[in-house]
Amino acid sequence: MGLLNPANLLYALSLAALVAIYLRARSRPTIEVSSLILFEEAPAPVARSRVLRLDLPFWLEALALAALTLAVAGLYLRAHGGAGGRRTHALVFDLGAAMGARDGDLSRLDEARQAARRIVAEAPIGDSFSVITYALEAGAAQAPATDRAEIGRILGRLKPTDVAASPAALRAALVDARGADTIDLFADRPPPAEVIEDARLAVPPRFHQVGAPAGNLAIVSIDPGVPRATLGRVVVRNFSTHPQPCELQIDAGGRTVFHSGFIVEPRAEMVVPFGPLRAGGVVAARILTADALAADNDRYALAPSIAQTRALVLSPDPGVRDDLARILLAVNPNLIVTTADPNVSNAFDRARGFALAVLHDCGDAGVTAAARLFVFPEPWLSGSKRPPLLPVVGSVAAAEMRRRAGVGELAAPVLLGPARMVELPGWMRATSQGSGAGDRESFPLTAIGRAADGEIGMIAFDVRDHLLLDPDRLDALLATIDTIRRLIAPQDVMIEATGAPVSVPMFARTLLTAPDGAGRMLTPDRWGRVRFRPLLAGVYHLTAGRDSVTVYANYYDAGESDLIAPEFPAAPPPAAPAAAPLTAQFQMRPIGTLLAGLALLVFLLESIVLTRRAARWSARHV
Amino acid sequence: MLAARAFEPDFLRRLDGLMMQARRTRAPRAGRRIIGRAQGSGIELEDFREYAPGDDLRFLDWNALARLDDLKVRTFRPERQIEITVMVDASASMALPAADDKLGFALTLGAGLAYIAMSENDPVRIAVFSGHGGKARFESTPFFRRRESYGEFHAFFDTVRCGGETRLAAATAHLLGQRRPPGVAIIVSDFLVGPNDYETALGDLLAAHYEVKAVHVMGDRESAVDYPPGSYRVRDCETGVMRDVSFGPREAEACRRRIAAHADALADFCKRRGVMYARAFGASRLDDIVAREFPRLGVIA
Repeated sequence: MGLLNPANLLYALSLAALVAIYLRARSRPTIEVSSLILFEEAPAPVARSRVLRLDLPFWLEALALAALTLAVAGLYLRAHGGAGGRRTHALVFDLGAAMGARDGDLSRLDEARQAARRIVAEAPIGDSFSVITYALEAGAAQAPATDRAEIGRILGRLKPTDVAASPAALRAALVDARGADTIDLFADRPPPAEVIEDARLAVPPRFHQVGAPAGNLAIVSIDPGVPRATLGRVVVRNFSTHPQPCELQIDAGGRTVFHSGFIVEPRAEMVVPFGPLRAGGVVAARILTADALAADNDRYALAPSIAQTRALVLSPDPGVRDDLARILLAVNPNLIVTTADPNVSNAFDRARGFALAVLHDCGDAGVTAAARLFVFPEPWLSGSKRPPLLPVVGSVAAAEMRRRAGVGELAAPVLLGPARMVELPGWMRATSQGSGAGDRESFPLTAIGRAADGEIGMIAFDVRDHLLLDPDRLDALLATIDTIRRLIAPQDVMIEATGAPVSVPMFARTLLTAPDGAGRMLTPDRWGRVRFRPLLAGVYHLTAGRDSVTVYANYYDAGESDLIAPEFPAAPPPAAPAAAPLTAQFQMRPIGTLLAGLALLVFLLESIVLTRRAARWSARHV
Repeated sequence: MLAARAFEPDFLRRLDGLMMQARRTRAPRAGRRIIGRAQGSGIELEDFREYAPGDDLRFLDWNALARLDDLKVRTFRPERQIEITVMVDASASMALPAADDKLGFALTLGAGLAYIAMSENDPVRIAVFSGHGGKARFESTPFFRRRESYGEFHAFFDTVRCGGETRLAAATAHLLGQRRPPGVAIIVSDFLVGPNDYETALGDLLAAHYEVKAVHVMGDRESAVDYPPGSYRVRDCETGVMRDVSFGPREAEACRRRIAAHADALADFCKRRGVMYARAFGASRLDDIVAREFPRLGVIA
């Protein structure tokens, strides 16, 4: 038995007030009689004891006030939560990529699974368990249940994903587990203290660290280079604290273009050149040396095609035309780039088709191109008969880039020039976001999508004054290059990062086959696009009738792949043994409602007593 | 209000067959000292006596003289009327306990007795009395003789309010001060006064050759002493005197004994002085009171 809000016992002063009222008034009521002839004066001893002789309504009111005071003070009873008890346990699992790291035959997730099974087995019969997972986001794998066999099956079905576990997902998972009597957190690294604090848990979680420090090799990035022109590069990182042999193989066009072994220095990166490639296409790099984590041993890239194609750059600014042409040639030297001023008639052959048209601050009238990139899109002109493809809804004098696909939130916003705010059609998706300088309203800065007449790209900020060549605005250049690459890439091949949302134009129900062989059907939206989020590194196949698209998902996260990184300097506070018994052995059962009901009944009884007394004495009021 | 019952047909129907018997003469010379004012010689034969010189020869019994040769004179009951005053106590004590409505009960009884008295066309009036600051309040209706006038009391009842002290002696002194011929005085009161007061009041009326009838009224709850147990500070409604009392079953029984003793003392005094005395304890017993207590007041069927 205890009190949740002992400070509210202050309301017990009402009892003192009641006693005072009764001693003053009700203990000696004055009644008027026809004559004192009929009454004898009370003897002295009786008169003295009269002060303490209180009637039934007093005791009833005192009881009601006491019950209400205890109710507002939060009186609760402690009951054993043993057999048949109602204790709930939350089992929270980290499903980040590192949980798939193996040490011998067991992965870190397997260790967590075994620890959880021991907890379930040792719990009293009747306790319920919920299973909550988190990686990219939190999810409930199992609602609270008491069926041990079902819980075991759920635990067995848990699989690690090839994404980094985010603190936000951990926070959400802990919030989901907030109502449980005990929370067991299984992860390979301690949770940030601020995340635990933000979750505002009533019961501190019991952290179960799984896995031992292990060496790991990872492919950080791959640059296929320009076929027949420049070398490609693969960056390999050794997360181990000792030198690590690495056998690397690179395949392109169905044959191995590189296969070699070398030693990588401890906790260092090594750049491995290869090529040049003979042709464009998908390039796959693979570390053949066995290590703890396999997800970051494969990586894919797309080499540009060697076929000569034409590109058009239209801009009223000659500087912009020159910058964009240089960038196009840097992305694919095989492009034949034509630049022109849109305000000059017959500046280029409009009848000729282009693979890509880059349109800066102008419309696309008269241009035939398989892909179009609108840079600083022209606002809709009044009187124009055709509705704008990309409606401009506003503009800012200076924009700041804040997010970029594949990178996430930038460490510092990149200040850009003027930008036009475009209301994206549903078939486009933003690849970078920004806002006006000093403003919080976000709008897309770059976007791509497929319209009925071809691929469409959009860069919302102006690139005049050699903005793209400014080293302080490197992210603007990278976003531009990424957009151009996506526009000129083959439409049936996509290279994406795990965890990133993927939108593929398919226009029909599509079978998605994951790298582990699992398949599921996807339904296109009104824009004819199917969307999914690859959580495993590897190759995804999308098939809809005769159409097929291949998506290569790359995984690399410097923090998650570092299996030695957890030095655990800030180990989370273990579950306080002093605090545990309260919830481990007892359950708090507040009885405030019961007390309030008792008070109501007592008041009702007092009303009956007073009413009968009033009727007996024919008083006109109670 | 309970007094309204006095004018209900059912109640009056029960009283229709009743009449009030007044004691006639207690004079040393029978047939001469009468109660009330003489209205002539009358026609009802009362007695025979020896002729004395000077007697009116018209009353000489000639038949007796012829048969017996004896001179006898016939005497007759004189025609007379008796003024009846019903005095109802309207002091503050008649208002408590409020649920008992003692004043209404007393007015009902007084009106009933007045209705009975009207059966012989005697002049009847109803008065209420109390005391205020040493002065007596005495308010009365005019004399009514016929039952057709009985309804006139209704308007008077509506004006009666309780208040003041019970001043029996002052009320009777006020009545005697009116210098009316002695008649019948019916006092309806709770008699919650000291013995000196009611003995003085009743004694004065008797001394003035009034025929006195006393109706002792108490309420149902008052006579049953039905107070919840507890400690109280009781206040006399007439004097304002406070008294601390502790009340319980034992005290209630003692209280009932005090009521009985007080009523017995009054009854004993009335018996000794030839005052007709009746108890009317509880309005709920009205029918029983009419049947059993009214005869004690000389009411006959």
